[in-house]
Amino acid sequence: MHLTDRRPDPDELLARVKQAEAREQTGRRRGWWERFRGSLAETLVGRNPGIEISVTTGTPGDRPPARRQRPRTVAPPAYGLILGVIAGATGLGFALRRVLSTADVAMLYLLGVVIVGSRSRTRPAVIVAVLSIALFDFIFVPPYYTFAVSDASYLLTFAMMLGIGIVVARLTGRIGEDADRLRERERETAAAYALSRDISQAADVAGIEAATRKHLEWAVAGTIDIFLPGQPGHLPESDPVATWVLDNGKPAGPGTDTRPSQDGLYLPLATTGRPLGVVRISRPDAGQLMDTVHRSLVEALVAQAALGLERVILSARNESSRIEVEAERLRTSLLSSLSHDLRTPLASIEGAASSLLDGSTRPAEMRDELAHTIVDESRRMNRLVGNLLEMVRVQSGSLAVQKEWQPLEEVIGIVLLRLDDRLTDFKVSVGLPGTLPLVPMDGLLIEQVLINLVENAAKYAREGATIDISADAQDDSVVVSIADRGPGVPAAERERIFEKFYRIGSGGGIGLGLAICRGIIQAHGGRIWTEDRPGGGAVFRFTLPIDGPAPALPKEEES
Amino acid sequence: MAADPLILLIEDEAPMRRFLRAALGTHPYRLIEAETMRAGLAMAASHAPDVILLDLGLPDADGIDATARIREWSTIPIIVLSARGREGDKVAALDAGADDYLTKPFSVGELLARIRVALRHATATGKPDPAVVVGPLRIDLGSRIVTVNGAEVHLTPTEYKLLAALARFAGRVMTHRQLVKEVWGRHTITATQALRVHMNQIRHKIEADPARPTLITTEPGVGYRMKEPQSDQ
Repeated sequence: MHLTDRRPDPDELLARVKQAEAREQTGRRRGWWERFRGSLAETLVGRNPGIEISVTTGTPGDRPPARRQRPRTVAPPAYGLILGVIAGATGLGFALRRVLSTADVAMLYLLGVVIVGSRSRTRPAVIVAVLSIALFDFIFVPPYYTFAVSDASYLLTFAMMLGIGIVVARLTGRIGEDADRLRERERETAAAYALSRDISQAADVAGIEAATRKHLEWAVAGTIDIFLPGQPGHLPESDPVATWVLDNGKPAGPGTDTRPSQDGLYLPLATTGRPLGVVRISRPDAGQLMDTVHRSLVEALVAQAALGLERVILSARNESSRIEVEAERLRTSLLSSLSHDLRTPLASIEGAASSLLDGSTRPAEMRDELAHTIVDESRRMNRLVGNLLEMVRVQSGSLAVQKEWQPLEEVIGIVLLRLDDRLTDFKVSVGLPGTLPLVPMDGLLIEQVLINLVENAAKYAREGATIDISADAQDDSVVVSIADRGPGVPAAERERIFEKFYRIGSGGGIGLGLAICRGIIQAHGGRIWTEDRPGGGAVFRFTLPIDGPAPALPKEEES
Repeated sequence: MAADPLILLIEDEAPMRRFLRAALGTHPYRLIEAETMRAGLAMAASHAPDVILLDLGLPDADGIDATARIREWSTIPIIVLSARGREGDKVAALDAGADDYLTKPFSVGELLARIRVALRHATATGKPDPAVVVGPLRIDLGSRIVTVNGAEVHLTPTEYKLLAALARFAGRVMTHRQLVKEVWGRHTITATQALRVHMNQIRHKIEADPARPTLITTEPGVGYRMKEPQSDQ
């Protein structure tokens, strides 16, 4: 059912008709005839008492169109009030004319003037004053029922009534204007507050930009463009005026000294020193924004945006310098690790090789020993270098995870094969349920994780101990566990051991293995942690999320 | 008596050449060396070596490209040498026609095994063995019967095709792509995954401990390799 099928609501139609506006330019001086006869609007008001008529004063563009002028309503109720008050005062005065003195009646009329003045604007109060004087003179001042005045002192009464009427009207008028100004100020404060709230919540340049655009557009009713040099997507070079404003830190465009005929108004986004960017406000009569009334608001909003921008840029700079410090720390620690952990095997290799060359090492078993040292130490160095390279890959963000659905068993098989010569002193038991699903993973990377974890277990476990590798399927992930019967990991260290270059005691290795594991597992969308193993030892567990269904394979019959 | 097999080494790094010269010197092989791809290709054409050892990290040429160019006119076995972490390069070289690969650093034992397998496949072209025996595993390519320790193993048609492909090239690495082509004829996106699943099933049927396969090993990121068969004598 569509709304268009609906029968028009008579009340709604009526409401629409009532919104018809009569606009009139009242900025020019009125001719005397108009003053006497009333403006077009007043005439219209008089002729169509059932319709609300809004009169907008000022030449077009005198104020920004969006700061909609509150329509100054000269609506029938005001005239009803005038008539009512006059009739009331006259009726009451007439009814009580035997009791009241003429001066009391004058006070009644004055009361009427004050009532009208306090309820509406200047003109109605003056009208009431004039009407009151006329009626008072006509009815209550002898000679009765003529406008003639026998006692000249009444003229003074008339003048005072008129004077009081005007003063009251002026006062109430000023109060009304003050209220208007207050509302205006309130609106400006609200805009500034909303902007500052959004800006303080924005965490980056884009957020500041969006908040500024939103609130400034609302406040000035124009299109906002923001140029931020050095930010992607902002090219002040393409706009010479923006570049000029950026270089000179002064506004340009209509209402300013520079390029007043330019289409948009350009304001620098600056706190102190060089502007951080430029705001362009495009709207008709943008120059009006630079007049005394609007300038303070626009400037306040732009200054707030600039402050927010500065904060974000500074904090980004802080962040990058923090990262730099961290990187520096890493470099230092890397250098000391390298010099120690790479030189130690190198020294063994060089020593063994040079004594082989020397030729004085005669016994065959001693030569064998030396050769084995060279092979073992070079393998150790190769692992170290491999870990370093892997860490660099994880660290630099160039780790491209290429997930493929594959059986975990195959990856474990590779790991056990590659670690074969280092696991001779241990028993490794693999417990994989037959129902274990295929897991989406990058086999090469998970292989690295498993190698590091199994090596780690072997490092801390006693010789002859068993290392258990197991896996369990959960709802949307597979949990892989590597458990040993070593000393376990103290609770306080369980987070830190996954940090780079962190190692417990002075065990071999440079403290990268677990950091690499964490980097790889996180890149897979999984989690890695360690816990106590019931009965003693440590368990390292990691999860691999299973996102989506595994590809189905056709069933085949065995021959 | 035929001369010792001639091996062409194309490698730019002097220490590596020295190591290989020393390693091969104590075995019945003759070695010629080239430092650049240009010189290497010229020597390949002029000396007709029995095996080419080709470093993939040569400064003057792309090893994968060079492999393809050698394959345009020759079936000389090519063994590529490359660093770990460059699995993509290895696979590309293998798919371009290289026979096998070695990841640096490698041991002399591995090198000799690769050369041995390459030479055997080069000389045995044309008449495949009717039966391939790898440890307890026996694959009769004529009767299509597979046994482990004499007991027949029941395989699905796909599993048999896969096992037979590996057996025909036993000792040599087979890339995922090559195996998929052997089994399904063409490559699809999910084929590698299917390959892994079938391989897992085969292992459960032929390996004593499927988590520690010894008959068919996985070459991480590259493919699979059936263990080198025992020599006949």
